[in-house]
Amino acid sequence: MTFKEKIDAGQFVWCGEIGPPQSCDGDVIRNKAKYFKGFVDAVNITDNQTAIVRLSSIASARILLDEGVEPIIQVTCRDRNRLAIQSDLLGAAALGITNVLCLTGDYQTFGDNPEARGVFDLDSIQLVAAVAQMNSGFLLSGTEMKKAPEFVIGAAANPFAEPFEMRLIRLYKKIKAGAHFLQTQPVFDLELFSRWMERAVAMGLHEKTAILAGVMPVRSARALLHMKEHVPGVKISDEYIDRMQQASDPKEEGVKMAVEIIEAVRKIPGVRGIHLMPVMWESITPTIIQETRLT
Amino acid sequence: MPKEIVSSCKPPLTARERKISHLLRFFEDLIKVPLFGCQKCGECILSSTGFVCCQRCPKRLRNGPCGGTGQDGSCEVYPERKCVWYRIYFRSSRLRRLSLLYKLNKIHNWNLEGTSAWLNVFKKRIDAPVGLVRNDKQKVKEQIADDL
Repeated sequence: MTFKEKIDAGQFVWCGEIGPPQSCDGDVIRNKAKYFKGFVDAVNITDNQTAIVRLSSIASARILLDEGVEPIIQVTCRDRNRLAIQSDLLGAAALGITNVLCLTGDYQTFGDNPEARGVFDLDSIQLVAAVAQMNSGFLLSGTEMKKAPEFVIGAAANPFAEPFEMRLIRLYKKIKAGAHFLQTQPVFDLELFSRWMERAVAMGLHEKTAILAGVMPVRSARALLHMKEHVPGVKISDEYIDRMQQASDPKEEGVKMAVEIIEAVRKIPGVRGIHLMPVMWESITPTIIQETRLT
Repeated sequence: MPKEIVSSCKPPLTARERKISHLLRFFEDLIKVPLFGCQKCGECILSSTGFVCCQRCPKRLRNGPCGGTGQDGSCEVYPERKCVWYRIYFRSSRLRRLSLLYKLNKIHNWNLEGTSAWLNVFKKRIDAPVGLVRNDKQKVKEQIADDL
């Protein structure tokens, strides 16, 4: 079953995430693909994440397709204006890529080219609407296409940033614009996440879209502390930091924690899947998924 | 036909309109720059964003905050500043204009950058400002029920 079929059928879906290398070495993607093949339904390919130049997400996605893994390309509004985004999306569709995740993008000053001009011609919600319009057969200019793409449209949601209510309005707007699935930022605060889901369910949003909860396995307490201090918009319960600090084998504890979070979010009503983000630790994916199946 | 998600460039500003716009801009700036920190996008949506200019966002987002707002409401790019959308949310909440935040704002027409929003409203290039909002809570409920 493809990712689209599973979403349409309302089945529980699993996503992974691969960050392309800072070089033209396609083998990095091929190697990482092994960790996901047969374990997840689709794999996100980041688009110059944290504003650092990397191998193109569309090219990486094509490599993944050749390896038999279904890709979800991330598209950010930071680097491209509406012309480039549409043309890239048409190119992606022609290469057989069907899943798109629409993001605004990290600000350029966070990356390796802080002097760069940020584009931000569209925002993520407008990008969702633009892709939905392309699906209906029209380009943004209103020109009708002879062949329309059939993208599965995704977007991101961050339940953990302030203001809480505004996050629900954003979620609502993304669904209204035409998002088929939503991936959340990594859950490290179960209480806040379940409160957010509760509100989304009360608004009826979970029926219009598939909400996938983000889960990030971490290797060390340092990684958690770094995220807490330097990554804006994440919220990490102190309980997790304490546990990682006290663990004799932090890697094992990290896996245990990820499995626990997955088990907990699966039980929350409205959650339709898991988006696993093993940043720089792709090799752990099979272990986590196998352990989740055991419990 | 496609939905209108792009703020259309048609009809383009004539040379005469640009002159009028330049004149109007002088008076518009006198009010909007000191009061709202106007960024002169020419496509003013101040009335639906709690009278806080959303274009002061470094990413110039028109549909809500990015995922980087800090726990204290700080901007991720300039941590010493408050996220404009954080301010928009709380101001709209106080003014009971939250229902306006549920509207999808169109993709910006960069041809209007620097032109007078007043002229653009008069010429019907952009939507007129929203006046008094009554029964804000009820409107939110109705909108959600209509759309979903």
